[in-house]
Amino acid sequence: MIDRIKKKAEELLRTKQVDLIIGYKRAPDGVSVAPVFIDKAEETKELIWDTYCVYNLSNYLKDFRGRKIGIIAKACDARSIIVLLQENQLKRKDIFIIGVECSGIVDEKKLLSISPQTSELGFDERCRSCKPSKPPIYDVLIVQEGQRPQAPRLEKDPYGSVRKSEAKSISEKFKLWQEEFSRCIRCYACRQICPLCYCPRCVADQTQPSWLSRAHSFRGNFTWNVTRAMHLAGRCIDCGECERACPVGIPLRDINKKIEKDVKELFNYEAGLSAEQKALLSCFDKNDPEDFIR
Amino acid sequence: MTATEGSPERKRGKDKKDWEPRIVGFLCKWCSYAGADLAGTSRLQYPPNIRIVRVPCSGRVNPLFVLKCLVNGIDGVLVSGCHIGDCHYSEGNFYARRRFVILKRLLEYLGIDPRRFQMSWISASEGDKWARVVKELVEEIKQAGPNTEFRKGI
Repeated sequence: MIDRIKKKAEELLRTKQVDLIIGYKRAPDGVSVAPVFIDKAEETKELIWDTYCVYNLSNYLKDFRGRKIGIIAKACDARSIIVLLQENQLKRKDIFIIGVECSGIVDEKKLLSISPQTSELGFDERCRSCKPSKPPIYDVLIVQEGQRPQAPRLEKDPYGSVRKSEAKSISEKFKLWQEEFSRCIRCYACRQICPLCYCPRCVADQTQPSWLSRAHSFRGNFTWNVTRAMHLAGRCIDCGECERACPVGIPLRDINKKIEKDVKELFNYEAGLSAEQKALLSCFDKNDPEDFIR
Repeated sequence: MTATEGSPERKRGKDKKDWEPRIVGFLCKWCSYAGADLAGTSRLQYPPNIRIVRVPCSGRVNPLFVLKCLVNGIDGVLVSGCHIGDCHYSEGNFYARRRFVILKRLLEYLGIDPRRFQMSWISASEGDKWARVVKELVEEIKQAGPNTEFRKGI
């Protein structure tokens, strides 16, 4: 599989179809993976592909606007590319998507706690609720050879944990999230890693008006986390990068999932499936639910 | 002032009894604001707990406005606009409706009492509806109690 990725990348650079390839390379520690930006055909030897390729590389696309970019994309990465296309942040002709079939990626934190005796592979939670193994958009698809261990799927209900939390009482829910948000150090790693957070000037960095308290306070943390979630409403494709990047382990995916579930129930809308559909919050329907309005 | 009046117990008891909710209303200037105006000129009585912020359209209201109110200790927020189909800008309230149903559900999920954030459609001729909505809102928020979640040191 990796040979075909390398061959394709090499060919794209040699024939000048793209100026740059964004892919994965082995990090110096020999295990984990780092993003790599390649503009010379002979350097494509560096590319790798395995279950450690956790990063959503589409985050880097906005840094190279106007250049021809080849990108290696898993199913989730391709979905965020779709949202970027939908929102006119990219031009389709500028990117060449090398889609890779993916059977799930690992959770490095989980791996540390797994004993080597077990056969469990430590797949990331997000892969359990991911449906497609093929990207919904690609220019060339590199399929897997042979059988590879597949991340276990949540067969029944992808929103099971959300439903469970919803059933709690208001004060329980508040306590839970108060604890979670109180840990937030406002490093904004969730924002930096998110491929869909691309505002040139984030509302959290504005001082006039200053919408978020900059003090180390629960108020500010709450406002920031709700704002982040609201700005991703109907856009988040659940690549789970925010939660992975969070240094204090706030379950951000849980909030994203909650909105994803509501959006699906209320508007029958799923983000990142087609670049032709209109973005959820920039369109409306006459029959949108309004039972909460007096 | 006597000693008993100044004692913390007395003060706390007094506070609780005398507590009146503070509510912020974001009113669209074409319908709800005019409706509230009509309620005033018609001499309709309604509780004075609501502070009104006039906005061009309910679609102008950013979820951040609501959040900013709530984390700063406002007990309830009301967003009010024209009825569906009556928007001065044709479609502003459609967008607001989509946006705020998501926000309302999210806030509830994060443990904010759903009574603290509400929406209404009030036209310029519905002064009586405005008075009624405010009365109901104040009643509900009195039941929900003061918004102490974001107070410092708690």
